[in-house]
Amino acid sequence: MNIENIVPDFRLDMQGEPCPYPAFNALEAMKELKKGQILEVISDCPQSINNIPHDAKAHGYEVLNIDSSGPTIRYLIKK
Amino acid sequence: MNFWKNFKKNFLINFWSPIPAVIALGVLSAYYFGITGTYWAVTGEFTRWGGHILQAFNVDLSTWGYYQIMNMQGNSFTRVDGVMIIGMFAGCIAAAFWGNNVKFRLPSSKIRVFQALIGGIIAGFGARLGMGCNLASFFTGIPQFSLHAWIFTVAMIIGVYFGAKFTLLPMFRSKMKMQKVSCVKSLEKDETKINNFFTLGSLAFIAIIIWALYLIFFQNSTKLGMAMLFGSAFGLIIAKAQICFTSAFRDLFITGRSQMAKAIVLGMIVATIGVFSYIMMGQPAKIMWAGPNAIIGGLLFGFGIVLAGGCECGWMYRAVEGQVHFWIVGIGNVIGSTLLAFVWDDLSLSLATSWPKINLLESFGNYGGLFFNYGLLFLLFLLILILEKRYLNKSINR
Repeated sequence: MNIENIVPDFRLDMQGEPCPYPAFNALEAMKELKKGQILEVISDCPQSINNIPHDAKAHGYEVLNIDSSGPTIRYLIKK
Repeated sequence: MNFWKNFKKNFLINFWSPIPAVIALGVLSAYYFGITGTYWAVTGEFTRWGGHILQAFNVDLSTWGYYQIMNMQGNSFTRVDGVMIIGMFAGCIAAAFWGNNVKFRLPSSKIRVFQALIGGIIAGFGARLGMGCNLASFFTGIPQFSLHAWIFTVAMIIGVYFGAKFTLLPMFRSKMKMQKVSCVKSLEKDETKINNFFTLGSLAFIAIIIWALYLIFFQNSTKLGMAMLFGSAFGLIIAKAQICFTSAFRDLFITGRSQMAKAIVLGMIVATIGVFSYIMMGQPAKIMWAGPNAIIGGLLFGFGIVLAGGCECGWMYRAVEGQVHFWIVGIGNVIGSTLLAFVWDDLSLSLATSWPKINLLESFGNYGGLFFNYGLLFLLFLLILILEKRYLNKSINR
């Protein structure tokens, strides 16, 4: 899915926080969303590439887009 | 030109998939043992760094029993473990700069600084008490058929459990809250910087290869040169695939993810047969005391790595990515391992050295020990599946 067509409803900016907090807070935040809403998670812990997408899918959410081209990674997750 | 662009993107810039990466680490670590006669390990060398720092302050180490065991001869450039770590750092630097993962990141709060330092100290102390970290007492220790590694691993998993509970106490939780937005956040993209970083990464990688080849072909230090090459491969792989041993069991308890834990067991499954074949050819196995030191060390280590957010090889690649948090963890590790060396002479007899070094290949015969180790690895894999299921059942019922 193209990034241009995605409009997030909420942003969780976790810059500066090490693992496991980005993944943990992202899952906690997703619980508060309504079905169909989109959360944008920003994390500069590169290790989150191995946990946020996996955990989001395992908990039943859809990962729409990941931009991991730089040190700060963006995840777009739909409930 | 397109071929190079694709190669660069797929292999040098993008992250690597973690599961094949860990299996590759297992294979490489077995070969490393065959060629150098030692296992892939890092904390022993950190302890020696602490020793050298003490020597710089004119402390006489000849009365410290732990440094007698650790073999303080030479320096980081003349020891197998030393050059391997230099290689690892170079591999981590190459991976971080190629992948544009470098960014100066300060800890978000004072509590994180406390976590990094205290967790690092506890982990460093526990690792050296248990004679190894996630490598020598787990990932590369279990394939050596040393019973101490199994004891350490079980204790570590328990320590990780308590560490996970502790780090999610309200005082440690992240204060970041989500905000209502209507567009994506734009991320910085500076092509010149990206290209410069890429060149830096290439320079680090080429330099370490030249250095290693120089050691092999011009210095006749084949073992050192090979250790350096292996180190650069280990560093490159852990950083490109963001391999985190700490997350393996921690996240089973926090989010129910089992991918990394399963990958590590698979890595040990391939390493075990490789190490076994070298032992059969006459390479002596690395066996440590199976005493209470492995239990206490494992508990402390498991708790410490979760509190710190990373273990002994985890902090290395994160430190070169510019994560100041992990510079502190690294310093903590060196402090903790030096503290252990300081108290070792008071503890060692009762906790470690009076206990036997149990080699499964001697206890059960060569093939008995081999299959016994595989039996235990199978049980560990089952345990991971059970923990994952337990978490997911609980979270569905919430």
